[in-house]
Amino acid sequence: MTSRALLALLVVAVPAASALLLAVAPRRVVRPLGLALSLPVGGLALALSALALAEPGSPQAHAWWAVDAAGGLLLGVVGLVGLGSVLVSPAFLDGVRGSLFSGPRGERGYFAVLYAFWALLLAVPLAGNLGQAWLLVEATTAASALLVGFSGKPRALEAGWKYLILTSLGLGVALLGIVLLAAGVPGGGLSGLSWHELGRFSAGGDRAVVGYVLLLAGLAAKVGWAPVHNWLPDAHSEAPPPVSALLSAALLPAVLLVAWRSEQALTPVVGKPTAGGLLVAFGLASLAVSVPFLWRSLAWKRLLAYSSLEHMGVIALGIGFATPLALAGVAVHVAGHALAKALGFYAATPLLDHDPRASRRAPAGVARQQRALGATLGISLGALAALPPSPLFVSEVLIVAGGFQAGRPWAAAATALLLALGFLGLAHALLETTVGEPRRRPTATVRLRSLAPVSVAATLLLAALSAAALWLPGSGIVAALVRGLA
Amino acid sequence: MSGAYAWLLVACGLGVVVVRRRTVAVALVTAQALALAALAARDAAGSNDLVAAGALALRALVLATVLFVVVARTREARPVRAGAAPLVRGAIAVALALALTWLVPHIGLDSRDAERAVLALVAFGIATVATRRATLFQVLGIVLVENGLGLAALRLPGGASLAIELGVALDLVLVALVAVVFHERIFAEFGTGDAALLRALRD
Repeated sequence: MTSRALLALLVVAVPAASALLLAVAPRRVVRPLGLALSLPVGGLALALSALALAEPGSPQAHAWWAVDAAGGLLLGVVGLVGLGSVLVSPAFLDGVRGSLFSGPRGERGYFAVLYAFWALLLAVPLAGNLGQAWLLVEATTAASALLVGFSGKPRALEAGWKYLILTSLGLGVALLGIVLLAAGVPGGGLSGLSWHELGRFSAGGDRAVVGYVLLLAGLAAKVGWAPVHNWLPDAHSEAPPPVSALLSAALLPAVLLVAWRSEQALTPVVGKPTAGGLLVAFGLASLAVSVPFLWRSLAWKRLLAYSSLEHMGVIALGIGFATPLALAGVAVHVAGHALAKALGFYAATPLLDHDPRASRRAPAGVARQQRALGATLGISLGALAALPPSPLFVSEVLIVAGGFQAGRPWAAAATALLLALGFLGLAHALLETTVGEPRRRPTATVRLRSLAPVSVAATLLLAALSAAALWLPGSGIVAALVRGLA
Repeated sequence: MSGAYAWLLVACGLGVVVVRRRTVAVALVTAQALALAALAARDAAGSNDLVAAGALALRALVLATVLFVVVARTREARPVRAGAAPLVRGAIAVALALALTWLVPHIGLDSRDAERAVLALVAFGIATVATRRATLFQVLGIVLVENGLGLAALRLPGGASLAIELGVALDLVLVALVAVVFHERIFAEFGTGDAALLRALRD
């Protein structure tokens, strides 16, 4: 067994075993155990990510697992966001009154399901074939729905129910597409669904196109692309903040990776204009739908949710353009969005301590009353708005340039226009949230607890990413992203 | 697979769209899943196929047990009204099935009857979720879609992978169990399993 194979096994097995351990652990040790286990889980994911990104030119793909540059990037993101979510969970749990899990099982159930969700998220980028990837994505629905509805309050139940039903139905449609594709690959079965073999589909272009459209339309419901994004703002706004971070920064891009791998594998069969065009269409639709909401005065987590819709659209556009410039932008965007969005959601817990009404209406003037908290919200929103020197500014420039490079000038121009409109909306929200007129009297300083070191680390990582983004185009990582696993 | 068998599966699916009582709908979905398991056992070419057939049967029985228990635990004072009358629901479901059959080309299964049955069951599942307000019916809509896809896996030339079939069965049971947890909490919170009451989240 190679070092990558062993690490890939451990990356999934350790969090899965941790989930089981936490499910049966005595109540008094659940929290310290949950915090302690996050270090090896996060460390293993980051180690495999570093290994995959250090040697991007030598991807490994087998029937059951695959490690390449794109998978390595996602592993790093999921590992880091998962680690952060576990570390900030105690601050959230201290304020919990009642949950979906009855009585004293609340905290144990939370940590056990959180680790199960984390394990599944780490397994998705490692999936060696489309069938396995679908199974893992479907399993994330069961785990994450429980977390979305964790508070057990009516709004959380509504959000969890919508999420469960809509994404399950969407994934059913995706499975129909997979069946259609499996029937056309020589040999069929599991081996026919491997990322390599999908490109050997030989049952006619029309059938391949229908299978591809069904697959992507189904996955779109889980990624949260418009027009099948209805669950996204509800689930992100009603889930516990550490879970919202995992949903937005880790789950959505992990499912997007499945769509990306499928697009790369099936491009030789369905043709580049169709394969990329569908992603460009989803991307533009998501941007266009998100912009009017980014202009509205929304509660903090709901604003972040619509920003997720915008950013998943941007990433879809980059993948659809599929040029080296665009894919360099995708790599930076996935990492930068994850850091900024996770920070924003983590900050929601102290924000709600400061102003409980921020769960229903837009916060205002936070930096005037709570400097550290206001600074954290500002860094998150500034980065998400792509305000220079945010890495998302560089990535969006790269993706738009990639659109022109791909020979899609109209799509690239529309992207630039929609991004500019989105920026205006988020910039207004940034000013209102930080230095606007406060709607409440000054209160005692809110303790940031574990958010303080997480906030400093995220800010430093965002700065480092901005610097790395300038070096990335032309690197071996981008060449590996263009090549994919096929 | 004979045409009559395909029509039997489709009729069970259409029944779920139009019937009023939850117990009847659960019975129809269970009968459909057991018919699929019987088909898998009849056509089994080896031990792997028999294991897959056994998993389908086990999945059907586990889901039936859970759903019947839930129906008994969450008795509605009066049936939750659907968004549309039975005839309208049936017409919507059949129209959607015909549209899917028209839009989707030859899938590549071993008979055209099986292909039409698969597409019809997927359409009926979507129609059930879209037109029924009772939360339990919405879960049954997802099970209908998965039954249709189970039929597709059985009729794939060369068969599907055993691991994938077992995984799909396990995933469906997991999703259904989580849905049942939500259904019970919604019932406890609102006194009814009516999804129409879940309308607080709007922009």
